[in-house]
Amino acid sequence: MTTPLLDETRAMDLAAAAAASGLDTVVSLRPGVAGVATRNVPATSAVFATHFPRFPVVPGVLIIDDLARLGALVLTGDGRLDRWRLAGVTRVRFRHFVRPGDVAELSVEVRSGGDEPVLRGDVRVGGSPVTTVGSLVMRATAAGAGV
Amino acid sequence: MLFHLTDRITGYEPGRSIRARKVTSRTEPYWRETPDGPAMPAPLILETLCQAGAWLVMLDTDVRRRAALLSVADVRFPGSVRPGDVLDVIAHVESASEERAVMSGAVEVGGRTVMEAADVMCALIDTAELDDPETTRRQLAALRDTGR
Repeated sequence: MTTPLLDETRAMDLAAAAAASGLDTVVSLRPGVAGVATRNVPATSAVFATHFPRFPVVPGVLIIDDLARLGALVLTGDGRLDRWRLAGVTRVRFRHFVRPGDVAELSVEVRSGGDEPVLRGDVRVGGSPVTTVGSLVMRATAAGAGV
Repeated sequence: MLFHLTDRITGYEPGRSIRARKVTSRTEPYWRETPDGPAMPAPLILETLCQAGAWLVMLDTDVRRRAALLSVADVRFPGSVRPGDVLDVIAHVESASEERAVMSGAVEVGGRTVMEAADVMCALIDTAELDDPETTRRQLAALRDTGR
């Protein structure tokens, strides 16, 4: 009982977490454990002018970037995303395109800690998996060292 | 921003490999603040390889096909990219069929490796589904023309 309550009180305000991470909403945040957030995909996004003129889809690497933002948010717990950077990814699968009008539901969970924490990432649209990342490997930046 | 992360094609071996250049500028919008100063988000470094691979497919198919990302087995980002860095992008074809291509590669800055990627799998799709093929042809011609 006590552990989740402690996590709730330690977690920063979810609106502040969304603003700090650049994600659209943060649905839940359990520092050091897991997080859920959303990314809306408006047709106004400048990336669609070139990716692609006849078939607008979100570049897969930008989905990885959003998962890395959420991963850094979970690892810091205090909104200082610059404490962590993405050191690598493995087993990334793009199952479906993410298109204008979609609301992407992102979730990450920490699989192992240490100097290079590893998280698993998952993205769904309307409940269906669109992207899975077997491991997001994160590395502390200079600001993260000694914290 | 324009999602064009290849500025020049600097080498091409048909069916085998491509080498490309992406020049970065402080005037670009993607820089992210880090304790060591602005850095390029690591996934955009991966995209430079994916786009070089897409141009390789287009060169190999006379712009009939281009590549869409399906999966990535393993990517490491051992270094950072800072404003003003010039990225030297090298992609090799590991295997290819009519429908799929698997590539591996690396990105270097001044001989320093900033990314290594193994087994990036792409679907080969009809160029005309994504953009006007004439536009794509003009872009390709510009990437290969050094103007000198």
